[in-house]
Amino acid sequence: MIGLSHDSLEFSFPEVHPEAKLNIQFQRTLRIPDDGTDYPLPAGLGEFPIEHVDDYLRTVPDRWLEHGGVMLPMYQSEAMWINFQSTFLTDHDTCYPFAVKIAAGKIDAVTGKPWTNHLRRQPQNYLQVPSQPWLDGFSIEQGVIRQFVAMPLGGGYTAEEQITGGAEFGGLQIMVMPMRRKAFERYHPVVQSFQKAVRQTAEVHCFSPPPCSFLESEMEMGLGAGGRMRQQIYDDQYKLADWETKQSSRCFVHLTNSETWCQITGKYPPTKPPTATSYEQAGMPWFDWYEDKPAVGGSATLRSLKSVVQVDKVNNEKPVIDNDPIAIEKVTHLRESLSKGQVREGQF
Amino acid sequence: MSDLGDYLRKQREQRRQSDPQFSLRKVAQRIGVQPSYLSKVERGSEGSPSEETLRRLAEDLNEDADILLALGGKISTDLASIIRKRPKLFAELIRDLKDIPDHAVLRIVREVRDGNW
Repeated sequence: MIGLSHDSLEFSFPEVHPEAKLNIQFQRTLRIPDDGTDYPLPAGLGEFPIEHVDDYLRTVPDRWLEHGGVMLPMYQSEAMWINFQSTFLTDHDTCYPFAVKIAAGKIDAVTGKPWTNHLRRQPQNYLQVPSQPWLDGFSIEQGVIRQFVAMPLGGGYTAEEQITGGAEFGGLQIMVMPMRRKAFERYHPVVQSFQKAVRQTAEVHCFSPPPCSFLESEMEMGLGAGGRMRQQIYDDQYKLADWETKQSSRCFVHLTNSETWCQITGKYPPTKPPTATSYEQAGMPWFDWYEDKPAVGGSATLRSLKSVVQVDKVNNEKPVIDNDPIAIEKVTHLRESLSKGQVREGQF
Repeated sequence: MSDLGDYLRKQREQRRQSDPQFSLRKVAQRIGVQPSYLSKVERGSEGSPSEETLRRLAEDLNEDADILLALGGKISTDLASIIRKRPKLFAELIRDLKDIPDHAVLRIVREVRDGNW
């Protein structure tokens, strides 16, 4: 089942394991420049507010009710990253593993292929959590994504429109499958209390993220491709058969612009995010995430997408926000399972 | 004294102790009824007020309108309309839920629904 609590989607699978729980948050962030540079990760600027579409029967389009799920507001100048947080099981000294499929406008954000409810390995069409702590955009090359940027549906900017030629779905689609319990217990048996004590002193983290009227169709948003960012999509180290594919949960996340959010919900959206230039000038942090793990290659389909800036150029449109390159002075390097300053011990 | 009258009087008197604006007369004035009528409602010697009056009372006393409506033996118009659209489904649903603990009901109600896409 999926619950919504404090602007976080909670996927839980008590029929598989009582602790098989995955929280997903949608973090607001700035739009990085699309200037050919591969930028590091900007910080999260707070979570997007989320509401059930069913709570607004009178003000959301009928097809949103048909899709079910939730909705959130985005400014056109705004970008998003998706944070994954699975439950840490002390006895097993690990987080419960999940396979997570992410699509925008029903276009798979990892492969660029149309949405299916199935997991595939070649090419891998899902993320493996907790190895993948977050996702910031469309996977275009090994180690590079193009940022998820909100654009009006119907303007030709979104991945869905460029790949399918239609603007039918928009939004974001998520599907989560937990690891089979037997597989989990085989890979991650209960650890001895001595081992646990040693590891706990190392301050283990599974991940540590940086800190009313009827809706018009043009008010719907989809996700287009923004600037380039350094980010790996990690190869699944488990077997396809380890995933409990019969216990999946899906959620459609509808995106609306901020004015329409007000009309639908009667609530104010968050304030506008800063531009990349003002973010850097304010000395806000940038991050890099380092992992010694194999990563999947990017999608040729997604690589061929025109970015929002490229579509604007073709259409002779003035960009909505400035796209000036910025020089980043300081990047904080993050690593899985290590606290700041800790030396990594390898295999020898 | 009716359940509704008893509840209303307690809530209003509680507020009046710290704020004289919650005297019987002032509240009646704000919600647009005669003080004598509100007094009768509180004593249970008058039938349940209309949905509109109960909603104004709820707003003035900062109480939940659905609770006051239920105490007054009424179901809000929007809920009645929802049930009338699918009477069999909702009647079954409500009967099935009647013995389930509150937290379990909340869990069902707040579940994010997957649809057709």
